[in-house]
Amino acid sequence: MTLWFVFALMTVAAIFAVLWPLGRAGRAQGQDTENQGSEVAVYKDQLAEIERDLAAGLIAAPEAEAARIEIGRRLLAAADSQPALDGRASLKWRRAAAVLALVGLPLVAILVYVPLGSPRLHDFPLAQRDRAPGMQQSLENMVVQVEQHLEKNPTDGRGWNVLAPVLERLGRYDDAVRAYRNSLTYNGESAERRSDLGEALLAAAGGVVTADAKAEFERAHALDAQEPKANYFLGLAAEQDGRKDDAAAIWRGVLAKAPPDAPWRALVQSSLARVGGGSAAPALSDDTIAAAKDMSEGDRGAMIRGMVDRLANRLKQNGDDVDGWLRLVRAYVVMGERDKARGALSDAREAVANDAERLRQLNEGLKNLGLDG
Amino acid sequence: MTRKQRRMTIIGGSLAVLALAAALVLNALRDSIVFFSTPTMVAEKHIAPGKRFRLGGLVQPGSLQRGDNLAVTFEVADGSAKLPVAYKGILPDLFREGQGVVAEGALDASGVFKADTVLAKHDETYMPKDVADALKKQGHWKDDYGAKGNATPAATTAQGNPQGAVR
Amino acid sequence: MIAESGHYALVLALALALIQSFVPLIGAWLRDPALMNVARSTALAQMLFVGASFVALVALHVTSDFSVANVYENSHSMKPLIYKITGVWGNHEGSMLLWVSILALFGGLVAAFGNNLPLSLRAHVLAVQAWVASAFYLFILITSNPFLRIANPPIEGRDLNPVLQDIGLAVHPPMLYLGYVGFSISFSFAIAALIEGRIDAAWARWVRPWTLVAWIFLTLGIAMGSYWAYYELGWGGWWFWDPVENASLMPWLAGTALLHSALVMEKRNALKVWTILLSILTFSLSLLGTFLVRSGVLTSVHAFASDPTRGVFILLILCVFIGGSLSLYAARVSSLKQGGLFAPISREGALVLNNLFLTTACATVLVGTLYPLGLEVLTGEKISVGAPFFNLTFGPLFVPLLIAVPFGPMLAWKRGDLLGAAQRLLAAGIVALLALALVWAWAHGGSALAPPAIALAVFVILGSVTDLVERVGLFRAPFGTAMRRARGLPRSVWGTAFAHAGLGIALIGIVCETTWNSEYIGTMKPDDVAHVAGYELKLDGLFQRQGPNFREMIARFEVGRDGESLSVMTPSKRSFTTRGSSTTEAALLTRGASQLYISLGDVTNEGAIAVRIYHKPLVLLIWWGPVLMAFGGLLSLSDRRLRVGAPKPARAQPRLQPAE
Repeated sequence: MTLWFVFALMTVAAIFAVLWPLGRAGRAQGQDTENQGSEVAVYKDQLAEIERDLAAGLIAAPEAEAARIEIGRRLLAAADSQPALDGRASLKWRRAAAVLALVGLPLVAILVYVPLGSPRLHDFPLAQRDRAPGMQQSLENMVVQVEQHLEKNPTDGRGWNVLAPVLERLGRYDDAVRAYRNSLTYNGESAERRSDLGEALLAAAGGVVTADAKAEFERAHALDAQEPKANYFLGLAAEQDGRKDDAAAIWRGVLAKAPPDAPWRALVQSSLARVGGGSAAPALSDDTIAAAKDMSEGDRGAMIRGMVDRLANRLKQNGDDVDGWLRLVRAYVVMGERDKARGALSDAREAVANDAERLRQLNEGLKNLGLDG
Repeated sequence: MTRKQRRMTIIGGSLAVLALAAALVLNALRDSIVFFSTPTMVAEKHIAPGKRFRLGGLVQPGSLQRGDNLAVTFEVADGSAKLPVAYKGILPDLFREGQGVVAEGALDASGVFKADTVLAKHDETYMPKDVADALKKQGHWKDDYGAKGNATPAATTAQGNPQGAVR
Repeated sequence: MIAESGHYALVLALALALIQSFVPLIGAWLRDPALMNVARSTALAQMLFVGASFVALVALHVTSDFSVANVYENSHSMKPLIYKITGVWGNHEGSMLLWVSILALFGGLVAAFGNNLPLSLRAHVLAVQAWVASAFYLFILITSNPFLRIANPPIEGRDLNPVLQDIGLAVHPPMLYLGYVGFSISFSFAIAALIEGRIDAAWARWVRPWTLVAWIFLTLGIAMGSYWAYYELGWGGWWFWDPVENASLMPWLAGTALLHSALVMEKRNALKVWTILLSILTFSLSLLGTFLVRSGVLTSVHAFASDPTRGVFILLILCVFIGGSLSLYAARVSSLKQGGLFAPISREGALVLNNLFLTTACATVLVGTLYPLGLEVLTGEKISVGAPFFNLTFGPLFVPLLIAVPFGPMLAWKRGDLLGAAQRLLAAGIVALLALALVWAWAHGGSALAPPAIALAVFVILGSVTDLVERVGLFRAPFGTAMRRARGLPRSVWGTAFAHAGLGIALIGIVCETTWNSEYIGTMKPDDVAHVAGYELKLDGLFQRQGPNFREMIARFEVGRDGESLSVMTPSKRSFTTRGSSTTEAALLTRGASQLYISLGDVTNEGAIAVRIYHKPLVLLIWWGPVLMAFGGLLSLSDRRLRVGAPKPARAQPRLQPAE
C-alpha cells in the first residue's frame, strides 16, 4: 500500500512540475521576460570588453575601433530582430498542456510501468534475508554459503574437502579442480586426494586424460601404488594415447588386486574387454554402454551392490536425507538382505532422532514400504 | 584579395589536407593492417614466413613448455589443426591451457610461429572475439564454453559412469 | 519498494521528457512564455527523477538486493562497499542509467543557469535535449532495464571479478560520460539554432561554456583511463588504439575543433555554418562511441547479429539523430547569413587550419576504427588495425597542427602579420633548435624522429610562454607594469597558454616514453640484481601474505642508484583462492616525472620469479599534459566573459570593474 502511495506522490510531483509555470505565468510574466537574456546583452558586454582590453593596452586603438563598429552593427541588427514576446497568452494551448499533464502523464507512466514493473515484489536486501525464517535451502544455496565461508577462511581444509565432490557432482568441474587443489594445500598430500583432483581435471576436459590429469594420477600412484582409482585412470590414459596393451596390463593388475566385492570391478572388466577385444575405435561412450548391457548377471549384481554401498556410505556421513534412507532400506529388501535392511532402519532412526519432523517422515515412508516396526 | 580568392585559398588548403590524409590512410591500410588466422587457415593459405598476422585458437592442453630465461613454447589448436608457437616473455595472467589465446607475430622458416605479443584478454567466461568467431564457424563452439574450457570436443560424456563407479 | 520506486521514477522521467519534447516548441511557436517555461521546470523535475532512480539503483547494490536481476548479475555480498557502489556503472544497464542521469543533469543545469539565454532559445534547446533523453529512456526501459526483478531471489550474486575491483576503473567512466554527454548541449544548441533559423555571434558565446565543460571532463576522463590501463594491466602501455579508446578520442578531437571554431564565431561572426556542423558531428561521434561500446559490435559482430535488440535500438537512435540533424542542417544551411570576412593569414585563418587538421585527424581515427568492422561485415575477413596504422596517419597530421599552434594566438583577427608573429617566435624557435641539437648529441639509440619531436614540443611550450610575455610586455615595459598587466590579462588568455603548453608537455612525455623506455625482462632469484637505466634493483626475497579474500605473493625489491639505496618496491601477485583467478599488482616508483615499473610473472620450478622491469623516462608528463590542458580549460571557464549575458541588477553596474 505504501508503494502505491509513493507512486501517487511522485506522479503528483511530476504533474506539478508541468503545471507550475503554466499557473505562475499570469502573475510573474512581466518580470520573467525582463530578466531573460538576449543577444543585445551579449553584444553590449562585448563592447564593454573591448573598452577594458583597450584600457589595459591589450589591443591597439584602431583595432578597437574596428571591432566596436562591427559589434555595433550586430547590436543594431539584434535589437531590430528581437522578437517581441506576445503578451496575449494563448489560453487554449495552456489548457491543452495542463490537460496533457493531468491525464497524459499518468497514463504514459502507467502504460509503461505496468508491463515492466513488479509492484508486488518487496525489496530483499541481504541483511533482512539472513533473518528470514523458513527459507528453502536448496543445494545451490548451501554450496554458496560454504563458498562464502571459504572465501573468508581459505585455510579451512575440511571445508574444501566437503565442497569439492559436491561441486563436481553439480558439474562445476573447474571449481571442483580448484577446491581439490586447495584441499591438497591445506590437508596435505594423499593418494586419494591426488586421484580425486585428477578425476576432476579429466571431467573438466570433457573426459580426456590431459597431461595435468595424468600427472596427478601418477603422483597418486607414487604415493600409493595400490590406489585403484589412480591406476584405473592411468590405464585410461594409456588407452587414449593408443597404447592398448599397456592399458590392458594396468587394468589386469587392478583387477588382480581388487577385493572381490569391489563395486568398480565391473567397470574395469568392461574397460578391459574393450581394449582386450582389440576394437580399433577409441570411442568410449557407446562401448561402455554396450559393455554394461552385455554384462553377465553376476557383474550387474556387483554394479548394483556397488551403488547401494555408496549410498550407505554417504548416509553414514550425512544422515539427514530421509529419502536416501528409505531408498537404502528398500534396496536391501529387494536384494533379500533383511538383516542389513533392519540395520539400516535402526541407523536411520538414530540419525534423525533429534528431528521430530524427519522422524515422522521416516516412519510414514516405512509404513508405505510395508516395513512398519 | 577578393572574397572569391580568399574562399578559394581556404577550399584549396582544405582539399590539400584531405588529399594528404587520404594518401596517408591508404598507404597505412596497405602496410600496417594485420590479418587474423586460425591454425586451419594457416595450413590452407600457406602464409609466407615473415608476414605478420594474428593467430588465434585454443592453447592445446599439455603443450606448454617453459624453457630457459622466459622462453615458452606451446601449441595453438582450433580443433582440426595445430601450430607450434614460440614466445619469449611473461605470459599474461589469464593465459591457461585449454583457453583462448591470440598471438601476434610471424612464421619462421621452419613453420614455427614466433610471437612477439600474446594476448589472453579474457576472464573465465570470455573468449577473445576472433577466436570465438573462428571456432563457431568450424562448429567447435558450445554454448557452455565459458563454464568449462573444453579443448577437445571429441570424447566427452563417456566418463560419467567411471567417475561414479570408482568413487 | 526502493527498486520499484526507482523504476517508477525512471518511467516518470520518460513521461516528463515526452512533454518537454514538444510543449516548449509549441510555446516558442506561439511565443507564449508560460508554455516555453514548461521546458525549464520539466527539465529540473526530470533531473530529480532520474537522479532518484540512479540513487535507488545504488542503494539496491549497496544493500545487495539480489531480487533485482542487475544486482544479482553484477554484484556480490562480499564486495567492499566502494566497489558495490562503483559496480553500479560497471555493467551495461547501470552505465546506461548513468548516461541518462548525466544527460538529465546537463539539461537541469541549462534550465537552472540558462537565465542569460533568450526564452525561445532555451525552450528549443531543452526540447531537443528532451528528444535525446526520451530516446534513451525508452532504450533503457525496453532493452536494458536495470530494475527487472527475480521472483525467487538467489542468496548470492554472481560477480566478484577482482580485476574490476579498482578505483581507477571506478572513477574514469563517469568522467568520460560527463564529457561525452556534455556535448549533447552543443548539439541541442545547434539544432535549436537551425529550428529558429537565427545564428549569430551571441549563440557561440552561449554555447562555449557548455562545450568547455564537456571538453574538460572528456580530457580528464581520457587521461585517467589511460593511466588506469598503464598501472593496472601490467604491461606499462598507456594507449592501445583500442576501438573503445578511439571512441572517446574522436569526440575529443571534434570537440577541440568545436571550441576553436566557436571562438571565431563569437568574435567575428564567421564560420557559422561550419560551427553548427561541428556541434552536430561532435555529439554524433559521442553517440557512435556509445553505440560501439554498448551494442557489443566490438566484442563480436556475430554476437551483435545473434542478439540484436540492443544494438539495433541504439543504431536506430544513432540513425535518427545523426540523419535527422544532418538533414535539418542541409535544409536550413542556405538560409544562414554569411559572416565576417578575413584573410587567410589571420587568427581566423589559423583557427580554420586548426579545425582542418583536427577534423581530418578525427576522420582517420574513424576510418581506422570502423574499417575492420566494415570489412568483416562485407567480406568476412578479419583484420586488426593497430598502432602502426594510427602512427602513420594520425602522427603526420598532428605535426603541422603543432607547428601552427604557437602562431595562432600571435596573429591578429581579420588580417594577421605572419612575419611579425614569426619574429616574435624567433626566440622560441631558436631554443627549440638548441633542444634538438642537445637531444641529438646526448641521446643514444632510439628513433631519429625523436629529437625533432622534442624540439617541436619545446617550440609549442615556449610559444605559449612567448604569447604571455608579449601580451604583458615583459622585458619591454617595467616589471611592475608587466605584473599589473599580467593580473589584468583575461583568464581565457591564461587558459589558452596553459592548454597549449599542456599539449607540448604531453608530447614530450609521449616521445620520451616511447623512445627511451628501457626494460628488463627475465627471471630473478633472491639476491639477484637487475640493472635498468642506471638503477640497481635487488630482489630481497618473496613473501606470502594473507589478504581479506586473497593470498598475495609479494616480491621485495631494493632500489638503488650508484650504490646508494633509494627505496623499496613491492610488486605482488594476488591469487583469489575461491575464484582461482589472479591479478598482478605492479609497483611504481616515481622519480621526478620518470617512473620505475615492476610487474611480476610466474614463479619457475627453480624458485626464480619472472619479472618485468621498466624505466619510463618522463612518463608522467603524458598525464600532466592533459591535466594542464583541463586546468587551462577551467581558467577559461572562470573568465567573466563566458558568464556574460544576464543583465546585472542596476546598482552593481556603475562600479569600476576590479582587475581580474
